[in-house]
Amino acid sequence: MTENTIQTVKIKRIINECEGVKSFVFSRQSSITPKPGQFVMIWVPGVDEVPMSISSYNERGEWSITVKNVGECTNALHELTIGEYIGVRGPLGNFFEIPQDKNKKIFLIGGGIGMVPLRFLASELIKSGFKFITIEGAKVENDLIFMDEFFDLQREGSEFNYCTDDGSYGEKGFATEIFENALKDLESDELKNIVVYTCGPEIMMHKLLQICNEHGIELYASLERIMRCGCGLCGLCAIDPNGSLVCKDGPIFSSDLLRKMDDFGKHKRDFSGKKISQ
Amino acid sequence: MSIDINLAGLDLKSPIILASGILGVSYSSMKRIIDAGAGAVTSKSIGPTPRKGYKNPSIIEIYPKTFMNAVGLGNPGIDDFIPEIKEIKEEGITLIVSVFGDKNETYLEVAQKAIKGGADAIEINISCPHAEVSSIGIDKDLTHDIVSMLKKEISVPLFVKLNPNVTNLGEIALAAEKGGADGVVAINTIAALAIDVNTRSPILAHGSGGLSGKAIHPIAVKKVYDLYKLLKIPIIGCGGIFEWKDAIEFFLVGASAIQVGTSLYQGPEVISEINKGMIRYLKDNEFKSINDIKGLAHEFKTQEVPDFD
Repeated sequence: MTENTIQTVKIKRIINECEGVKSFVFSRQSSITPKPGQFVMIWVPGVDEVPMSISSYNERGEWSITVKNVGECTNALHELTIGEYIGVRGPLGNFFEIPQDKNKKIFLIGGGIGMVPLRFLASELIKSGFKFITIEGAKVENDLIFMDEFFDLQREGSEFNYCTDDGSYGEKGFATEIFENALKDLESDELKNIVVYTCGPEIMMHKLLQICNEHGIELYASLERIMRCGCGLCGLCAIDPNGSLVCKDGPIFSSDLLRKMDDFGKHKRDFSGKKISQ
Repeated sequence: MSIDINLAGLDLKSPIILASGILGVSYSSMKRIIDAGAGAVTSKSIGPTPRKGYKNPSIIEIYPKTFMNAVGLGNPGIDDFIPEIKEIKEEGITLIVSVFGDKNETYLEVAQKAIKGGADAIEINISCPHAEVSSIGIDKDLTHDIVSMLKKEISVPLFVKLNPNVTNLGEIALAAEKGGADGVVAINTIAALAIDVNTRSPILAHGSGGLSGKAIHPIAVKKVYDLYKLLKIPIIGCGGIFEWKDAIEFFLVGASAIQVGTSLYQGPEVISEINKGMIRYLKDNEFKSINDIKGLAHEFKTQEVPDFD
């Protein structure tokens, strides 16, 4: 279920996650409960409206988004203060399916701001009694987010690993390399029991798909594309050659589907609809 | 029971055509619409050069099943759209390319490139209510001039998408017919505005936009009903078709084909459901073809003069 109308809501709290990344908490009246992996279109009045992953939802009806300041709209959003209005459309798109089988070995692999939907997924997995292994990669230590929160979650028996491109925190290297190392010495039935959920730079997710293909591992990746409508009309987020729409058929796609997408890791469309390199 | 039609020489297996501006950017999404059962697809309006259009919000739902948009003719430009046309033609799909320009010559240039690339027909967008090109669609002489000029130069069917935001739609449609148009599409979106009361700001980045979907369906039906009395060329009915009844209504008031757009936010299955419903309707009412129901609502006399006591 999705919700396409814009509702303006007041920002209730703002949390500084790290340099250049803030979480915005708001209450949205909706008959639809958001699920991990879904997104909202966030409107900064007078500026723009952009897709954002939902980073949390609680029983009090509070939602949050976690936003990296990367452009005009996110910059305007970072300038806003508590009590100011933003427009929200959503929840939109599909979501991460949580496995039925409690014995699945679950990996959450995030790159940079891609940790946002995985953080929401982590909290839902814990509620459902799952244990999992997280690999969070970032360029440098200052880009790592949600570490305090994850530190608290370790007590529940899940494992949290960090890596940075420059080695300033955790292991030096890419999240894909940490994951590949973790697969060493595993038997084929152990490999088949793994489920990977990922979000991050598409080049990272593309590499993960290759690794998962080699080992017969199930993967779910959250994709990002430029979009206007967020609900299956404008077509800017269409992926060739199967025509999947990131906004409506996604943003979460399984390895089975990702394998069929020639555009995955290679092309996207700009705001005019022109196909460009990633 | 047949829902095949021949529209200005185009043989279509279903009278449902994808409306311009919806999913018409990539060959892959247009193919999905054909796979769902549409007879043809119309591309997004394509101009001479790449154009980003208006910022977001540019497409929003304002009531259930009713949308407003102001995209501002964002499009990749004809040269970058040619590869998509070629992919579509490789699939054997009937493609109508919607074209716009800043003057008549630009329309011609874009249309000729599209036809060279493989377009089966051209639809001209002279009616977008939130971009400067609407000036042609509100004037009968300008409409006649562009249509007759294009008809002299191109050999594929030419359809004219009508702007409903005018005082006299009939005279503009007649001007298109007189200019040699092979059909008209009625209607484009209706000029509209929505304000967010909390921020006191227009919601769409452009301010005003075009209304589409459920709310405009009866307006579109009325326009097609009126145009059918005036025109000899086919009318393609467009506006708020969500289910088979909405489609049948258009044929009963005189449409020869229909275009579906907004309802596709519910998924391409909307099209297969409408096809199924139309076939069931024809069967239940013992009609052989969708062509047999065209204009039947006109056989009923409506009350012209009110009763006074």
